Amino acid sequence: MSDERQQRLRQRLENLEEMPTIPVVLAPLLRYLEQPLDTLDLEQVVELISQDKSLAAQCLQMANSPLYGRWTAVDNLRTAVIGLGMQRMRDVALSCTLLTLVPKGRTSVDPVVFWEHSLGCALVCRQFAQKIGFPDPAKAYLGGLLHDIGVVAELCVVPEEFQVALELARSQGIPLHEAEAITLGLTHCDSGKIVAEKWHLTEDLVAVAGCHHDPQTARTHRDLVALVSLSDLLCRMSGLGYGYPEARQVTFTEEPGFALLLEECPALRTFDWARFTFELEAYMEEVYRLVELLYRVPQ
Amino acid sequence: MTTAAVSQRTPETAWRPPSPQLMQIRDLVYQVAGIFQPDNKLRQFEDRCQKRMQALGVSSLREYYQCLTVRPSRQTELVSLLNEITVGETFFFRNQPQLDALRNVVLTRIVDARKKMSLRHIRIWSAGCSTGEEPYTLSIMLMEELAGRLQGWTFEIVATDLNERSVAHAKAGLYGNYSTRNLTPETTKKYFSPAGENLQVNAQVKTHVSITRVNFLDDARMVFLKGFDIVMCCNVLIYFDVQSKRRVIQHFYNSLLGHGYLFLGHSESLYGVNDDFRLVHLPSATAYVKAETKVIL
Repeated sequence: MSDERQQRLRQRLENLEEMPTIPVVLAPLLRYLEQPLDTLDLEQVVELISQDKSLAAQCLQMANSPLYGRWTAVDNLRTAVIGLGMQRMRDVALSCTLLTLVPKGRTSVDPVVFWEHSLGCALVCRQFAQKIGFPDPAKAYLGGLLHDIGVVAELCVVPEEFQVALELARSQGIPLHEAEAITLGLTHCDSGKIVAEKWHLTEDLVAVAGCHHDPQTARTHRDLVALVSLSDLLCRMSGLGYGYPEARQVTFTEEPGFALLLEECPALRTFDWARFTFELEAYMEEVYRLVELLYRVPQ
Repeated sequence: MTTAAVSQRTPETAWRPPSPQLMQIRDLVYQVAGIFQPDNKLRQFEDRCQKRMQALGVSSLREYYQCLTVRPSRQTELVSLLNEITVGETFFFRNQPQLDALRNVVLTRIVDARKKMSLRHIRIWSAGCSTGEEPYTLSIMLMEELAGRLQGWTFEIVATDLNERSVAHAKAGLYGNYSTRNLTPETTKKYFSPAGENLQVNAQVKTHVSITRVNFLDDARMVFLKGFDIVMCCNVLIYFDVQSKRRVIQHFYNSLLGHGYLFLGHSESLYGVNDDFRLVHLPSATAYVKAETKVIL
């Protein structure tokens, strides 16, 4: 790819003309949920979510999944919020909100696959964080959910070019970011950083979006970036990637993210990777089922 | 207040609220035998425990846990439970993700390593081959490769099992509907012949497979099994106590070439048992490789 074309792509991403914005009705909800948990009012959260019918229906579907800790069905939002607790409800509401950002039918990339990966990664990040004593599992969840936000940007802004990259990755069985580097001259980490900064996401989430394929390049929050990096890789190696298998062999203890995360979480040294991988099998089935259900909800 | 239809999960796929006693038994089985039951298989796992509880006349999972831990017959009971867990596990092309990973990633690496040794020959040990479905599956898979990237190569599969009857069955190579249910019509036509209601493995497939009876704890036999690229050992080590397991794994280590791979059964792990092997992740599968090359005198 010529430097000039690469520069043009970057320019288009930076202008973000075609990039979706967070729907107007959701902005107040997101702002409200950003406040400290103990200051949030249950009635207010229910009220804000209820303003968007499809969001409310999606939240309810998610709230009923055992992935979010529920085993008995609830059929109204208030019960769901009470049952889940504010923390989990925040995860659910944020996940559903972001679901609306992936363009439907504009490209040949199936948004379901994107969501299976992002949601799966968020759940794996949270579980992984809890298992190794990472101090902020909620942040880990959010990092997992948003790590590939650059893919959304590329889907919206340079869909044809992104399609070429995905086809190359699929046909060669190589990681998506490697294919993007070849065909686009930049990766979804580059575009992710641009979007995250444009959206004024917090510094740690900018680092995750920009560095999750190369955690040692993160200047700050390297532990969070490393945690998301390893979780992302585990999802991709376990069949929860972008709809194709990466034909490679991975040793997690030799990944750059491992050494970085070990500094923060000594429990990682004796972590049972095999068991965690087997546990993921159950996650995957439920993630597939959940995302399929969410996409059936009329928008 | 918003309401929406809440999806109904079918009983087969439904997750269950985890019962602490069942989780305790799940953890015990993983700790002692190294085989894990993921959350989406807990219902099946509970059914299997219930089956054993019925046989023992035990009414609660709590009591059954005692049977597996403190009663004198605990070892026997664990074996009975493991038999329930692994029942019906033997059929052709059983673990497709593992086979895909083997073909798409591992074989490529083995071919490269063998080329460096100037030896165009691949050796696989199907350790605990039961009635032969696994070694014949591998033979069929590699025969398919002989027309492509393995053109001009040879391969052999050494299949061993402790059980005489299983060995005899494997040698006969005659299989019914259950074992052959995963075969495509093309594979059936190409590599099997009809034999009444059964299917007979073709001689061509058999020529690559040698089947013998071997006891893993028979050191004198084990030391002669050497020079393998791959050892497949599925659902066998789970029956061994830790000491025996370590001994067998040491044999596997010695039997593998430096670039070799050890594959275990689905959801089977060596965690806490052996440090000489390290876990590697392949697409939708895991395997073990040598952590470092040790010189064995």
